[in-house]
Amino acid sequence: MPFTITDKCIGCSVCKKICPADAIQGEKGKLHKIDPNTCYECSACGRICPQSAVKNAEGQFIERIRIRKNWPKPSINTAKCMSCNICIDACPRACLALKYTMDTADKKGFPVLARSRDCIGCEFCAAACPVEAIVMTVSLV
Amino acid sequence: MMAKKIKMTNAYMGKILWVDLESSHIHEEEIAPTLYRQCLAGTGLAARILFDRIPPQTDPLGPDNIICFVSGLLTGTGSLFTGRWMVAAKSPLTGTWGDANCGGNFSPAIKRCGYDGIFFRGTSPHPVYFCINDGKAELRDARDIWGKDTKETEAILKKTSGCRMPRIASIGQAGENISLIAGIANDGGRMAARSGLGAVMGSKKLKAVVLDGTHRIRVNDQAEVKRLSQKCNENIQFMPPFPPAFVLAYMGAILRAMPAQPSTEALMFNTVYKRMLQKWGTASLNQILIELGDSPIKNWKGSNEDFGPEHSENLNPNVFSDCVIVKYHCYACPLGCGGICHRPGLSGETHKPEYETVLALGGLCLNDDADSIFRMNETLNRAGMDSISAGGTIAFAIECFEKGLLTLSDTDGLELTWGNSAAIEALVDRMIHRQGIGDLLADGVRVASRKIGKGSAEYAIHAGGQELAMHDGRYDPGFALHNCVEATPGRHTIGSQMYYELFQLWEKVPDLPEPGLIYMKRSKYVPDREKAVAAATCSKYMNVINGSGACLYGALMGTEDFPLFEWLNAATGWRLSPRDYLEIGAHIQSLKQQFNIKQGIKSTDIRVTDRALGRPPLTSGANRGRSVPVEKMVQDYWKALGWDPKTGTPLSGGKMDREI
Repeated sequence: MPFTITDKCIGCSVCKKICPADAIQGEKGKLHKIDPNTCYECSACGRICPQSAVKNAEGQFIERIRIRKNWPKPSINTAKCMSCNICIDACPRACLALKYTMDTADKKGFPVLARSRDCIGCEFCAAACPVEAIVMTVSLV
Repeated sequence: MMAKKIKMTNAYMGKILWVDLESSHIHEEEIAPTLYRQCLAGTGLAARILFDRIPPQTDPLGPDNIICFVSGLLTGTGSLFTGRWMVAAKSPLTGTWGDANCGGNFSPAIKRCGYDGIFFRGTSPHPVYFCINDGKAELRDARDIWGKDTKETEAILKKTSGCRMPRIASIGQAGENISLIAGIANDGGRMAARSGLGAVMGSKKLKAVVLDGTHRIRVNDQAEVKRLSQKCNENIQFMPPFPPAFVLAYMGAILRAMPAQPSTEALMFNTVYKRMLQKWGTASLNQILIELGDSPIKNWKGSNEDFGPEHSENLNPNVFSDCVIVKYHCYACPLGCGGICHRPGLSGETHKPEYETVLALGGLCLNDDADSIFRMNETLNRAGMDSISAGGTIAFAIECFEKGLLTLSDTDGLELTWGNSAAIEALVDRMIHRQGIGDLLADGVRVASRKIGKGSAEYAIHAGGQELAMHDGRYDPGFALHNCVEATPGRHTIGSQMYYELFQLWEKVPDLPEPGLIYMKRSKYVPDREKAVAAATCSKYMNVINGSGACLYGALMGTEDFPLFEWLNAATGWRLSPRDYLEIGAHIQSLKQQFNIKQGIKSTDIRVTDRALGRPPLTSGANRGRSVPVEKMVQDYWKALGWDPKTGTPLSGGKMDREI
């Protein structure tokens, strides 16, 4: 089942603005629609919606998180990380980048959240990581 | 053109993209799910499409040739060692089926754009590059970047393409100059080098493919894929202590002196190899393989005695790993055999030279100057020229010079003598730019020997036109066999007796032959049914590997530590047995062979130069007295595949024997 915007929508267009896939259409003040062929289910629309009007693929309303900086962000456990680049590729916003710390004997690079402001908390990186080296955390600062 | 809807598929994207370079028309084609079950993706998908769509007797450098960039079935699913992309077309170097593959981060980008492959036909009237950004696919003018090397091209396109995180495959000057030994580079110097496919891009005026997409790759059972990946990673991260690099040469010498050979299982080589790759990369093989006799020396007429430890010490694995600034991992690779190097005293950075490059530009030319190898590695990567073929061609030229078939006036004053690193470097530059003698040599040894004549063909070491890689069939006759029988002759990454031992496929398919823990070395040269079955199994398995986008080095850890079949079932939702997958591999092999037959290539016409088969045998060194009875081995191999043993013709006619 695709993501859908319910009739709680007030047409404020913030979802349209944040959608990284350009999958949302709709005029200001009118019910917006998600194109299921383009949407890749990152949930950003639901998290930002002031009306909590968006249902996910399981048919549940996505909870709004009012303050953007409280959206979950990836936290990378370098002890588990294999440096395999899978998370970097999985990020639809290209937020992650490899950083070489130079403090490991084998000169490995590890992913870091290089563009934190672009992160939409989609969790694709955490879901893609084969060794569970990424957990999504909320900054309390 | 905008990409259309995402289909709910498992592991594959369900469609390919066609780009006509002549008309600029771009369209999608949906692929039936049954085709994936018959051919997987990667080279399997490419084989099906190119066999059907490239007309007979097509000019490889003409508009009717199709070149495709395909991703693997397992790429992007969370499986490990599965980040390789493949390129395929009719090869201008061999005139046969041509493919090459490469790591880096380009493979998942194909699927992220929503496709399992991108297929180009026609010839553009002017240089173009192809770009997919935000779902929009288009051809763009590349006149400004025509003439740039691959690294410059990547840097420019990263800035100007408008993509957020572009992944780029491009050709350099070698491809533009339609050198038949040109490859295609990505990620700052990784190279899909073999089969001369860079020349096909050059002939089509296609400078680069730039991809940036965000499509999700669906997986049937993500939890099971992860469970398998975690188990695989645990094995990878277990790194037993390993002796220092100088010991490797002695290990090779000891093994060489033994009349019997311990199998790779007896040597626990699956574990050892993993450790060597992790610590040094493929350069770990530099000295041990010279001592064993696996590395051809002095254009295949020399031996370990001509390039002993006093020379090879200069190309010791540490020489390369000590220059590593940072490690380099391809996509989905937990091992990381690559590295970015900076050699003190040399300018710039380069990918760590691979074993093949070091030996082709080193031992094959009796060159022990590591500085020159670092420089040529970077030069060739930037120019997009295959270092194996370049090294093989230079060694050929040196021997022609030695024999008086080329003179100083032919070489524009270059003293082409064994080990003359300055002359070798100068020759590389001239080949890239087709200057003087370089123009004669830029298309590889077969073309050069035809132009030189005077019996020079004897020194042109190739299989069906492709220069042989740095694995000697006189040491492992399996390499000699696969050089002869593969649809792309001269490929070293398909099979050998050692590969078969390392794959350990009998663990999953019990009726496959299992080698003994120790056997007499002379038995390797005696053709028998078991060896033929083993060789045919290597071909089948590597088709599954290349259909999945997997890495040979992962496969060499053995099927217990590299659960390819289990990953495939978990990612796709299929419930196929290892035997079923090998049958799919056999079908792909058959398609590639049918491709050659359709193009008018007789399997019996593909020849390997006599010298590489031990005809006459060497009189000294590790391989002295050895020759390979390849004719019998070839017939046995074709029979083991169920093909006509006399002609190598598959009897299935491009169809699968049974529905899987």
